[in-house]
Amino acid sequence: MTIISPTMSHPQAENQGSEPAPTSPPMRVAIIGAGRGGMALLDMLHQISRIQIVGITDQNPSAPGLTRAQELHVPVYDRVTDLITHQGLNLVIDVTGDPAMGSVLREEVPAGADVVNGQTARLLWLLVQHESTLQTQLLHAEKLAGIGSFAAGIAHDMNNPLQLILGLAENLTDEMDLEAVHLQAHDIIEAVKRTTAICRDLTSYSRRASLRQDCLIGVSGKLDEALKIARYAVALQDIEIRKLYQPDVVVKGNPDELLHVFVNLITNAVQAMDHHGTLTLEANAMADATQIRVSDTGSGIPPELLGRIFEPFFTTKPPGKGTGLGLYNIKNVIHHMNGTIGVDSQIGRGSTFTLTFPGERNTQS
Amino acid sequence: MSEFKSGFFVGGESCNGRVLVVDDEPDIRKVVRMTLQKAGYDVLEAENGEKAIETINYGENRLLLDVIICDIRMPKVNGIEAIAYFRQNYTRVPLIVLTGFPDTDMATALLRQGVVDYLVKPVEGEKLKASVARAMEQRELAHL
Repeated sequence: MTIISPTMSHPQAENQGSEPAPTSPPMRVAIIGAGRGGMALLDMLHQISRIQIVGITDQNPSAPGLTRAQELHVPVYDRVTDLITHQGLNLVIDVTGDPAMGSVLREEVPAGADVVNGQTARLLWLLVQHESTLQTQLLHAEKLAGIGSFAAGIAHDMNNPLQLILGLAENLTDEMDLEAVHLQAHDIIEAVKRTTAICRDLTSYSRRASLRQDCLIGVSGKLDEALKIARYAVALQDIEIRKLYQPDVVVKGNPDELLHVFVNLITNAVQAMDHHGTLTLEANAMADATQIRVSDTGSGIPPELLGRIFEPFFTTKPPGKGTGLGLYNIKNVIHHMNGTIGVDSQIGRGSTFTLTFPGERNTQS
Repeated sequence: MSEFKSGFFVGGESCNGRVLVVDDEPDIRKVVRMTLQKAGYDVLEAENGEKAIETINYGENRLLLDVIICDIRMPKVNGIEAIAYFRQNYTRVPLIVLTGFPDTDMATALLRQGVVDYLVKPVEGEKLKASVARAMEQRELAHL
């Protein structure tokens, strides 16, 4: 299985000219300050394979970055001196903005380790923030581009109830049977409600991912919601859908982003099957991890392309049919959730995408 | 075929014509039936292309059917496949497409194949009846 994890860069990226050889020892970094800046740095650096975060510290024990560090299994230190005297340290990044910290670092940081602080650290934080904003915009742009492919499904689901409403209303203009009038008026009301539900689902899906804090998400409910959205993009009527959900499986993350991930994976799966086959959705809670699988019985992915499918702008679809950003964005969302995404595929047999997340308490709050 | 009444086409000489409505949405079949029955047509229903093919080959339907109204996006045998079957095996029966999704390329291709009309839902009752009446004329011409 090809697995893309937060601590492993993409194989293609390893070969880029400016990168050090993959065999170089990782850069060992300490982060001082776990407020918004420290947390953003932590999130980004944690995704880079050649960086090892040896620890993070903050004088405020409830700083958000400390909680995030625990989720990412990054050591949290109570005292600055314990962290910066860590053996083999290469770099200390001080994002506290505290001038007094500068003198502490000058005295305590061992020779051979560099310090980034002051305006340099601020610049680093600004770059991280900018990168984060770009990723959010990319995710939204790709989502909106995908909604273009919903046109056929939306038209089908909107125009059918509209046909019913129009036909019944026309009939009511000369219907003399009062009981029939009541029944048909009731049918019109129900058809309007169905049409309204379509608009509500789609406007909810197309909005920008909320900025709220990550929370526990019920996986089965989110997969079912994704099926409702995906049916606008792809015809599901000839697809057998198998749901193998363990009860109350949860993962921690942004619900809007996870919905987008599931919609993309389901859409890809159905397209791979050319609209005929079996789609299997699984959610399993194990002792130390949660796994979600989306499997199809489609055409499969050629082995030579497996390593490239998570690259930005890589697509096998004809021009205008795919942005090439779907799996790239999925990978980014999964990494932000500290998870991994893997794919097993056999030509002519189908593909399985497996998402693995650190175990959460498997009860929905 | 249990959902269809055996010998359903009993309108005989008094009915304006016999129409098969093929759509996966029961609501659409219901409302089209309502509109056409008020205009004096007898109506049969099928929920997808597969059922439509079974229906037209059932009993005397293949002899009595005048017009087919067919959706495109349906499970099992979809509208495109069903229309290709009808054009090949029942060339005398005019076809009307009634679809929820307007697609110019598809409309052009279907009209070239001999489909009489390409209607996009929601379609007004008068327009639907006019279309069926035109199709009936073509059917009669085919018998001359």
